[in-house]
Amino acid sequence: MQINPDLNFIKYLKGAGGDTLKKCYQCATCSVVCPLSGDNKPFPRKEMIWAQWGLKDKLVADPDVFLCHQCGDCTAYCPRGAKPADVLGAIRAYAYTHYGFPSGLAKLTTSAKNLPLLIGIPAAIILILWYISGGMHLPAGEIDFGHFFGHWDFKYLAKTTMFIDIIMLPTVGLALFSAYKGVSTMWGKMCEGANADPVWRPSCGKFMRDFLWPSVKEIISHDRFNECGANKDRARGHKPLMLAFIGLLIVTTYSFILKDFIGIVVPSLHGPLSLWDPFKILANVSAIALIYGIYILWTNRSNEESESGKKGTFYDWFLIYEIAVVGITGILSELTRLAGLPVLAYFFYFCHLVSIMMLFLYMPYSKFAHLVYRTFAMAFERYRDSGFIAGKSEA
Amino acid sequence: MDKKKQAYVCTGCGIGDALDIEALTGMISSEMSVDCKSHAALCSKDGRAFIEADIKDGVNTITIGACSLRVMQDEFDFGEDKIVTRANLREQCAWCQGEDADAEYVQELGSDNMRMAVVKADKQDLPEPYQLEKITKDILVMGGGIAGLTAAKEAAKAGYAVTLVEKAAALGGKALGWRKQFPTKAPWTDLQEPTIADMVHSVESDANITVKTETEVARIAGAPGVYKVTFKAAGTASEWDAPAKVAVDEQDAIDKGDVEDPNAGKNPYMQENPEAVDFGGVVLATGWKPADVSEYEHLGYGTLKNVVTNAEFEKLAKAGKVPAKVAFVQSPGGKDDDKDFPYCNSVTSMVALKQAKYVREDNPDGQAFILYQHMRTPGHMEMFYKGIQDDDGIFLTKAAVTKVEESDAGLTVSMQDTLLNDDVSLDVDMVVLAAGMIPTTKDEATINLAYRQGPAFLDLDLFEGYADSHFICFPYETRRTGVYACGGVRKAANMEETIDDATGAALKAIQCIESVDHGVAVHPRSGDKTFPEFFFQRCTQCKRCTEECPFGALDDDEKGTPLPNPTRCRRCGTCMGACPERIIGFKDYNIDMIGSMIKAIEVPDDDEDKLRILALVCENDAYPALDMAGMRRNKINNLVRVIPVRCLGSVNMVWIKDAMSSGMDGVILLGCKYGDDYQCHFVKGSEIASKRMENIGETLGTLGLEPERCATRQVAITDYDKIPDIINEFVEEIIELGPNPFKGF
Repeated sequence: MQINPDLNFIKYLKGAGGDTLKKCYQCATCSVVCPLSGDNKPFPRKEMIWAQWGLKDKLVADPDVFLCHQCGDCTAYCPRGAKPADVLGAIRAYAYTHYGFPSGLAKLTTSAKNLPLLIGIPAAIILILWYISGGMHLPAGEIDFGHFFGHWDFKYLAKTTMFIDIIMLPTVGLALFSAYKGVSTMWGKMCEGANADPVWRPSCGKFMRDFLWPSVKEIISHDRFNECGANKDRARGHKPLMLAFIGLLIVTTYSFILKDFIGIVVPSLHGPLSLWDPFKILANVSAIALIYGIYILWTNRSNEESESGKKGTFYDWFLIYEIAVVGITGILSELTRLAGLPVLAYFFYFCHLVSIMMLFLYMPYSKFAHLVYRTFAMAFERYRDSGFIAGKSEA
Repeated sequence: MDKKKQAYVCTGCGIGDALDIEALTGMISSEMSVDCKSHAALCSKDGRAFIEADIKDGVNTITIGACSLRVMQDEFDFGEDKIVTRANLREQCAWCQGEDADAEYVQELGSDNMRMAVVKADKQDLPEPYQLEKITKDILVMGGGIAGLTAAKEAAKAGYAVTLVEKAAALGGKALGWRKQFPTKAPWTDLQEPTIADMVHSVESDANITVKTETEVARIAGAPGVYKVTFKAAGTASEWDAPAKVAVDEQDAIDKGDVEDPNAGKNPYMQENPEAVDFGGVVLATGWKPADVSEYEHLGYGTLKNVVTNAEFEKLAKAGKVPAKVAFVQSPGGKDDDKDFPYCNSVTSMVALKQAKYVREDNPDGQAFILYQHMRTPGHMEMFYKGIQDDDGIFLTKAAVTKVEESDAGLTVSMQDTLLNDDVSLDVDMVVLAAGMIPTTKDEATINLAYRQGPAFLDLDLFEGYADSHFICFPYETRRTGVYACGGVRKAANMEETIDDATGAALKAIQCIESVDHGVAVHPRSGDKTFPEFFFQRCTQCKRCTEECPFGALDDDEKGTPLPNPTRCRRCGTCMGACPERIIGFKDYNIDMIGSMIKAIEVPDDDEDKLRILALVCENDAYPALDMAGMRRNKINNLVRVIPVRCLGSVNMVWIKDAMSSGMDGVILLGCKYGDDYQCHFVKGSEIASKRMENIGETLGTLGLEPERCATRQVAITDYDKIPDIINEFVEEIIELGPNPFKGF
């Protein structure tokens, strides 16, 4: 293998939370404590030296980098203070940008300097559409976010629903496309790295059944989190947060189907759900779980930073802020709506929409991207150990 | 001296319980004709007063039966004009017997120990120190590099006149070529500007130091305190060059004209140069030479452009800018050998780190690759390593470099077994090989002594050409008393280590000169006033002493009669052990004394169970190990009688004959390890003794005695747990053989 270190990559990692990476002297204590490390893949020892040598191509194609959920055992035991966990976090941050499409947007998401743009773009889009919709005035009577973008009598599609669709469907579409593109590039690189023969590939069904679904099950059960020693509290925050997202996904899908399809035939379904609707209950429970989860993760991280005296990175905090804002604005807009405070309710709802758009839009490039990359890395891990690859490399 | 003798037995520490004290004192008083008293604690204030009262009455020869001679030395020191001998009744009698031991046997052991100590006192005299008529205290320092400069400065600071000899035209040595030097102070991370100019200046401006540049030492004759040193212009030949040692068969070949005489045109070693300069001690700091690495063909040194050694790279860096992409190859071995280049120690690791920094300093996007098998950064240098490692453009990995070849990009370095989990190749502008530091003593005599045993340090074939006699126990000492080595001739060392080393060597030279001035041994028997005395009328010129002396202390005249140099001597007694005429001895340690002690042991000739086994035990390691075994209450067979000796090398074979002819049943010698990891304090003593014992075994055979009755065992000071078994097993073997058939004759 011809080696050519990339000094800029090293600089990037040092700026993105991996400032300690050069301290590693390859003793492999991390590999001994890491539950992910196998006999023939000293993880994350080898990733540390790849990072020191600026070998970015090897790192972005390394499934182990994505499998790490930063339990922090390696950092806790490292005798040199090289903090492998933080370095791996920085490598992942780099990888999300590296695989991100379009790359301009991906790069924009890497720096706090771009925050005005990161917030400004979605805010402006929604503000403009809100203005165009003609709904930008305080409602008379009961507050109904279903009339946020105004109302018309065309019974097959509510005006607000249409505007929400105009905003969110392209955003989600772009995010999904970008994630797909990124994951498939990553998959290709990983196959190359593992010497997989592209002629032999599992069918789609087999892939879902044998590799993807077991990974998803494992993620939901938080099995790997529970193997951690140093950082057990993270699971306490991550689990409710993840379940909240699943809950909210169900509610959103339900209301999307309800409003955009069933609503066509049953116009009475427009309008807010009753508080006692099971889906509304799920939504509220999820919202509370989300707030609780993000609170735990927030305090964990700030405690950790005050203990280590290390300054946090934009990469880590951006997602925490995003989720926190989504949760808080969601709850506040609901509370102010119920309290009958239209100005506040509309304001919070606007913020809520902006934060949701940000969450979707930046999903493939921010820390949120772990959602797809880690899931597929876990699927790849199963694929790698399956007969498709493992058997062949031995032969 | 007119001896007035008195013996004492202490009853403390369990001695009184193990022995019948009354019987013991009675036996000494009657049988040995020396009055013997007992006391409950001789080492107490009261006990000392008990003895001092007798001293007031004129007693001057005292035998104390109590603890080991290794303890309570101050308590039983009654001044230089008294003879004191000790019988070990505690560690090697009372404490090493089990509760089931036969009281009669224990009593016999204690009695023999007392008898031997009384005889020992009887057979020795007070030592008189050897005093030179005229002593020179000036110190000669050879070599003007960091080591030599430091040694000269330190010796001068202590008030000694120093002459510093340097072959080159300027002082400073290798350090003159350095661009930067390793950090010497906190935080130990940054390279420093070289300080060599200051060091040179401080030596040159020191009134106590005479500097001779472009000068070499032709020969060093004489001995500590009275060295006669001949200088010559660097690079020239002189009639005073130290002659090579020529063995007898070589001399025959030379005489026949088959071989060229290596000493043609040189004066004999004993010839005195009237113009020689007097010195008291010598510090050898002639340093090192960069190694040649062209033998490693796969690395391309000498055939590929831009493959250089670390020494050459330093020159480049000092002269100007270094290339932007440089690989530092620390180990030559290819895939199957992880050894570093020879003679590198930890220095080349640190040099690579330093030079990697030059690459970064000179090139904004510079990349330096350090490919090592071992990264050695001892002590504070770990901080230096950390600092260098932190640089984004310095890359380190363990690697087996298999090939360096030319390519379009410049040079391509291929390697295997890297930490990167792959076989890797790198394109670089330059490859730097971590060539080692060859000591100047490797291929040349360097010290140029005009000694009978030759001009060089004796090479043990253990230290790969480094000047060394005992690296761990006696640093700086060489096998030539008065010559102390430091810096590159001792090991590949960095500047700080070298400065420590040179300071140590200077102090050691001073210690030697002052010891010589007081007429005492310098080391390892520091302060010993005795020295070997020769009764030359009976010398047969057999040359065994001159050949066997581990320190080359003995020269000789044309006939072969030894000419002792007491200030070179370490007082080990190897000459005494070697002498077949038994004409060499010390005032307090001689053939007659030990022989009489052996004869004082009571050998029952009518009891087949009461065998007697003599143990001659080296007092440096084996004797303390025996004491420790006693302290731990390990049982040692009570048929054994122990006599401490200075070194097994001092054991004269007549003692073995004495023992066997007096009816004893076996003799065991316990001494230090010899061979590759030898521990003998006198380097060769235990090895020589084991050879002599092989020969005596044959002699015994011709007399009809089993050779197995004599044995030598190697014991380390840490072997206190093994030593009882070693002895007890030997006793079992003797019991198996049965009593000495000559018993009673």
